[in-house]
Amino acid sequence: MLRIKNLKCSYGSIVAVHGVSLSVKEGELISIIGANGAGKSTLLLAICGLLKTWEGEILFQASNLNGMSPPAIVRAGISMVPEGRQIFSPLSVMDNLKMGAYTMYRKGLKSQVEDDLKMIMDMFPILRERADQLAGTLSGGEQQMLAIGRALMARPRLLVLDEPSMGLAPKIVDMIFGVITTLRSQGVTILLVEQNARAALKIADRGYVLETGKVVLQGSADELLLDDDVKRAYLGQDYGDFYDGRDQ
Amino acid sequence: MLDVTVEEKDQLKLERLQSTLNRACKNVPFHRNRFLELNILPQDIVSLKDLEKLPFMDRSHLGTHYPYGLFAVPLRDIVRIHTAPGTGASPSISGYTRADLLIWKKLVARSFQAAGVTSLDIIQIHLPPGLANWGRDYKDGGEAMGAGVIPNSPLSLAKTLMVLRDYKTTTLVTTPAFAEQLMEHMFDQERNPNELNLKRVILVGEPVDEKSVADLEERLHVDVWLNYGLSEIPGPAIAHECGSRCDTHACGSHCGLHINDDHILPEIIDPGTGTPVPMGEKGELVLTTLSARAFPLIRFRTGDMARFVAEPCGCTSPLMKMEWLKERVDNMIIISGIKVSLDQVKVYLGQALGMQCPDCTVERIRQGGTETLGISLVMDDVLFSDEIKNLEKLMIRTEETLAEQVGVPVKIRLVQKRV
Repeated sequence: MLRIKNLKCSYGSIVAVHGVSLSVKEGELISIIGANGAGKSTLLLAICGLLKTWEGEILFQASNLNGMSPPAIVRAGISMVPEGRQIFSPLSVMDNLKMGAYTMYRKGLKSQVEDDLKMIMDMFPILRERADQLAGTLSGGEQQMLAIGRALMARPRLLVLDEPSMGLAPKIVDMIFGVITTLRSQGVTILLVEQNARAALKIADRGYVLETGKVVLQGSADELLLDDDVKRAYLGQDYGDFYDGRDQ
Repeated sequence: MLDVTVEEKDQLKLERLQSTLNRACKNVPFHRNRFLELNILPQDIVSLKDLEKLPFMDRSHLGTHYPYGLFAVPLRDIVRIHTAPGTGASPSISGYTRADLLIWKKLVARSFQAAGVTSLDIIQIHLPPGLANWGRDYKDGGEAMGAGVIPNSPLSLAKTLMVLRDYKTTTLVTTPAFAEQLMEHMFDQERNPNELNLKRVILVGEPVDEKSVADLEERLHVDVWLNYGLSEIPGPAIAHECGSRCDTHACGSHCGLHINDDHILPEIIDPGTGTPVPMGEKGELVLTTLSARAFPLIRFRTGDMARFVAEPCGCTSPLMKMEWLKERVDNMIIISGIKVSLDQVKVYLGQALGMQCPDCTVERIRQGGTETLGISLVMDDVLFSDEIKNLEKLMIRTEETLAEQVGVPVKIRLVQKRV
């Protein structure tokens, strides 16, 4: 569904992504893990059209995304849940959701928007309760649900999530990952960027490990969860747990 | 069955190749220096074809970086270490992380499945000590798919046959040499193959000709499958035969091996010039590991001759297909599936005799039904001793030392100098 070849992104003279190739098949849940500054978010910005220039090839369902505007990319079927939620604080919860359906209104699919609203309210009952409340007054977890709900309003074929667990309490994180798993089981294809590597790999089919703008490892989630490098670097396990006295 | 299209597989291969090169360049000084020498960065490899820009590796590199010089992970991540005889004075050592073992297990299970093995089968593994590492991989793969496994153990022919019969083995994994020996033994002992539950024999270690396969199939009432592997990486399961029958050679057998090219990238090159040969032409098989963590091989020259099979296979597998040919590029001889380097034999022979290696010829012989490395040593003044006992002792000791070093039985014969 999504096929990236040799993607290179730079900010001025600083190269953030050095030739990354990556793919997402229909129905898959793919996790990209990596430390701060590894190039994860840059990669997503390129996919969503928010990064002006990049080199390489990004194909989404056989169409090349190079030069396409963000709205065109949303219309093509990619929706993003941005890092830090980026909800419209002064607007109500309901208006935030309707903003997500912007492209649907443009396509004249108003009746479907009502169905989608109902579906999202069923998925996140708290949003129905707070429908008229200003989004800025929601808790962090509720805001994240709203951000996901807003992205889903565009009926994406590929849902891209950037650090959905950031700044949330563990219990809420569990809930958010539960929601992502549910979406996946409903057939939504998902690309998930996460620092919470264990949680991300547990629900993923496959994963990519990014380091200083390069993919240094990839594989099925079970292979990555077994990998000592991944454990040390991203699963937060103590280095000492692995060192058992053998010399290097 | 691998559930990807050829296009998806090519994308996967590129992704895996690039991350393998990134890891190798970052963690292994040998690979890093080779990149630097050519003034290439891993990110300059933007297509599978670009791999041609990189230099080859061969068995000598594994020996010169003995023991752990080519590992790409810290030793603490290694959970298994294998030894292959190598070609020079040092053996070649390979290591595996937990994730490596998981991947290999999946690949071995894939080759079992291709041969029609299910969780209802009982797999018996009989491999010579020199292929013991493959024995472990077949055991792991068989167990992973839920089949019953009788692991490799050094049993006599009679005992092996007893287990085969009494334990109702359905699948035997062994070398062509042993399969033939077993078949001969059964007929010599007037044991009817109908006593067995055996449905299939999976042959490993060396290519077999159509006649031997047909012989085994007819006389043991089994289906014979060939697997290709290398002892330098754990891979007994680098390539496997599929269920479709050959119509190019009209041999009616399985023909051609599917390479697990989603994990191991094959190339076929002209051994003289090192350039890739046109599709379908024969040449030396060169392999690049795409998912190995601990021990990446980049453009490893196998010494095996093969050709890609371009004609579409009757099965639906998206994996590339090759024909494994009997001839070899290198100076190696295959004894019971184990590759023995002739250069190395001479090095060890000299060491064991405590003198410069005398003139000798090396060949594959059968001794008591077992494939053996036969060495004919030319008797010269240095070797000669008027004490026959001393000479006998020296020969026995040399045979033992050599057998341990190369991993196959050795028989030395003293011959007269040709005048």
